[in-house]
Amino acid sequence: MEFVCKIAGQAGAGVMTTGRLMVKCFTRGGYHAIGYPEYPSLIRGGHNTVQVRISDKPIHGPVQTPDVVIALNKDAIFYHMNSMAPGGIIIYDHLIDASKFKLREDVRMHPLPLSKLTQEAGGTEQMKNTAALGAALAAVDYPFEVLVGIMKDEFKRKGEEVIKKNVDAAKAGYDHVKNNGIKSVKTIKPISDKRSIIITGNEAITLGSIKGGVKFYSAYPMTPASTILHYMIENEKAFHLVVKQTEDEIAAINYAIGASFAGARSMVGTSGGGFALMVEALGMAAISETPIVIALAQRVGPSTGMPTWTEQGDLRFALHASQGDFPRVVLAPGDVQECFFLSAKAHNLAEKYQIPVIIMSDKNLSESVFSTEKFDQAKVKIERGKLLDTHKHPLPVLPPMTRWKRYTITEDGVSDRVLPGTPNGVHVSTSYEHDETGFSSESFAMRTNQVQKRARKLKLLMGELEAPKVYGARNDQVEVTLIGWGSLKLSVFDALPLLEQKGIKVNFIHFTHLFPLDEEQVKKALSGSKKTIMIENNSTAQFAGVLRQYTGIEMDFHMLKYDGRPFFPEQIVEEIEKLKKADYKGDKEIVVVEKEDLEYYHPQRHGL
Amino acid sequence: MVAITDFAVKEKTQWCTGCGDFAIVGALKQALNELGIPNYQTVISSGIGCSGKTPHYLNVYGFEGLHGRALPVASGIKLANNKLNVIAMGGDGDGYGIGAGHFIHIMRRNYDITYIVHNNQIYGLTTGQASPTTQVGMKTKTTPGGVIETQFNPIANAIIGGATFVGRAFAGDIVHLKTMMKEAISHRGFAHLDVLQPCVTFNKLNTYDFFTKRCYKLQNTDPAANHNVEDKFAALQKAMEDYNSNYEKIPVGIFYKVERPTYEDSIPWIKEKAIVEHDLKVDISLVYSDLE
Repeated sequence: MEFVCKIAGQAGAGVMTTGRLMVKCFTRGGYHAIGYPEYPSLIRGGHNTVQVRISDKPIHGPVQTPDVVIALNKDAIFYHMNSMAPGGIIIYDHLIDASKFKLREDVRMHPLPLSKLTQEAGGTEQMKNTAALGAALAAVDYPFEVLVGIMKDEFKRKGEEVIKKNVDAAKAGYDHVKNNGIKSVKTIKPISDKRSIIITGNEAITLGSIKGGVKFYSAYPMTPASTILHYMIENEKAFHLVVKQTEDEIAAINYAIGASFAGARSMVGTSGGGFALMVEALGMAAISETPIVIALAQRVGPSTGMPTWTEQGDLRFALHASQGDFPRVVLAPGDVQECFFLSAKAHNLAEKYQIPVIIMSDKNLSESVFSTEKFDQAKVKIERGKLLDTHKHPLPVLPPMTRWKRYTITEDGVSDRVLPGTPNGVHVSTSYEHDETGFSSESFAMRTNQVQKRARKLKLLMGELEAPKVYGARNDQVEVTLIGWGSLKLSVFDALPLLEQKGIKVNFIHFTHLFPLDEEQVKKALSGSKKTIMIENNSTAQFAGVLRQYTGIEMDFHMLKYDGRPFFPEQIVEEIEKLKKADYKGDKEIVVVEKEDLEYYHPQRHGL
Repeated sequence: MVAITDFAVKEKTQWCTGCGDFAIVGALKQALNELGIPNYQTVISSGIGCSGKTPHYLNVYGFEGLHGRALPVASGIKLANNKLNVIAMGGDGDGYGIGAGHFIHIMRRNYDITYIVHNNQIYGLTTGQASPTTQVGMKTKTTPGGVIETQFNPIANAIIGGATFVGRAFAGDIVHLKTMMKEAISHRGFAHLDVLQPCVTFNKLNTYDFFTKRCYKLQNTDPAANHNVEDKFAALQKAMEDYNSNYEKIPVGIFYKVERPTYEDSIPWIKEKAIVEHDLKVDISLVYSDLE
């Protein structure tokens, strides 16, 4: 059983909130659910939509075809009618004049007096979407009590009156549908009362970091990373964090490096443009061996690009950002569970190895909401590496006029670390090359030694890397192997069962640890594969290039999409079917584009 | 027990002979010693330029960061461990040029940080280009026809920007400089101290002699002549006196000083224990009720 509903309307109409409530509603009924938002970089005037997809089997991302569309304005009918499943229904405000559209015969239109219902229930015009939510639940015969429970929890801080108004508005919509006999093609009943949670990628990155001991977070607002900042602030008091919105991203990372130097586990979050401003300080974190975690939520570039759409175009940038050579770690979670655990891990890696660690997500993973199991917190251990416990073991008295050796050349490349405020530990950290005490040095030998010392950390680090995971049958038992990183897991996981249904034997190799790469590990994971397809949300197959650079392995095909949307599973299936028909011969570059060209930024361009 | 020798380092101080920065380091060691702050409780954050080298020349914790970024690093240090004595060091290029944005914003926040700016009105380490405080008309490598841009007025900007302590000292008067440093460090809130510090190599206009002739103290021995440091408008008038007098009269001392809660005061959970002292182990399950 699967059900897909699109809620759509003008920016500011409350589409996103409604979507989240709906995801919660079905999750509480025991379903797997996701909410995938699409919106332009505008506060008013553009087109906003959220796709709520639910299933009794695990699902991971959005698909192309909704069963129900809740249209809060006329544009919504235009935007989503064509992609609907036959037999689908469009629920819309009866004040909307739909007569100018060429309507589909296999899609049922249900005008509802949403404004009137909301008003009669004592709600404001803004609460129209709440009535629509009630209407949608009624259309699939979902019990209203579930929504009542959700609303009580959701608005508990806002008081009884707000709860009542929302419940009443939703009930008005619900009853109207019931009384008028409007029915979807599907009936959905709760299947379990097990409590799962719903969470976005950014929220999971935030929680994982908090569990991983983050104490300081600084950022400048930037889509699609801003919700990390919001969620950190929401949790500041409960977990005793210090969260600072700074004047720009340069300040953000310099604050975090300062806080980390002082001993707090520190983190920043940004997107490509903000990361560009952080690049100089990234190198400073490396040479001063100050731990830092950077959450890099990618969006469409270059430059301002398409700020609210998804892409995986910053991989090469993350790998190479900043001048000079230095070790770094780049991680890319593929779902919210991985967001949580890799973020916690990132803080351990940063502190143990005293290096920058970059966590890469993208708009699709960062801003979509997913039902998931509660995180198994017992799996997270805090490891502080060579940070000395000087409370237990005070440092010996330093000879007069000398500094403590913070940058001792060691075999594993990691030096002991003490924090400012520690007696007999006085030292300088610097963005200059330096000697073992941190004093600036241009000695040829010391320079060489310090470079080698820092580089040696990579060798030790290799032991912490997780090998790419192979999902499905062994490479030699399938005809084609899909390879991807980060959020591509969401799209491919939804494509795999569809491919199986079509009798195409495919497996998937997913990378979450992008750098450093362990050549042997990667070769082992890829060995025996017959045809390989690297699938990426960018235009130059960046990770395919990285793999080739570090392992010599070349992909047979690159399946690429860079229009701002994630791959829909149907698209992956279609392209692989075509390839199979051609006996896996043809152009190496496969570019996936949407069949229907839509523009949310300027509805006027569609004559709306 | 704190001793002046605690702050001494072996390394030779590598500024030009006669550089005003020697006085800054010397006065700072004395100030910290006289305030009785153990060397391990002070952290100096600096940027790049001749001023940036300061943390190397006295034995306290130091972070020599990027050009213009001393203030954000200092802010992070303070927020992570508000029990430390945090001093940021900048220069007129570093702090008023490339890092000017941070200067504007840190003042609004009023962290308990001292900001000492080595203002020599020229770019020294990059060999003599015009800085934001180079006097109009002065010829430099990058202004062969003389500077045409209006001078940045750090004191006036600090007063209107929200700094709760605004002062100026002259490196040629080390006793007064030390007194001003003690005042600035003791001040609870953001203290800005602009230090007129002659660059003996690249600035042939703003010399020791130039300042010795023109500087006068706002807090002198005659109480009747004393300037009211809580009067913002009086402070602004004094801040513009050098420019208005065509640099004939340059006031030094405390321009402005008021009490305002610090940013750190607004975070109850760091009052007793800095966040670096907090336990990293937390139970995140308390957020689940919002996510279920």
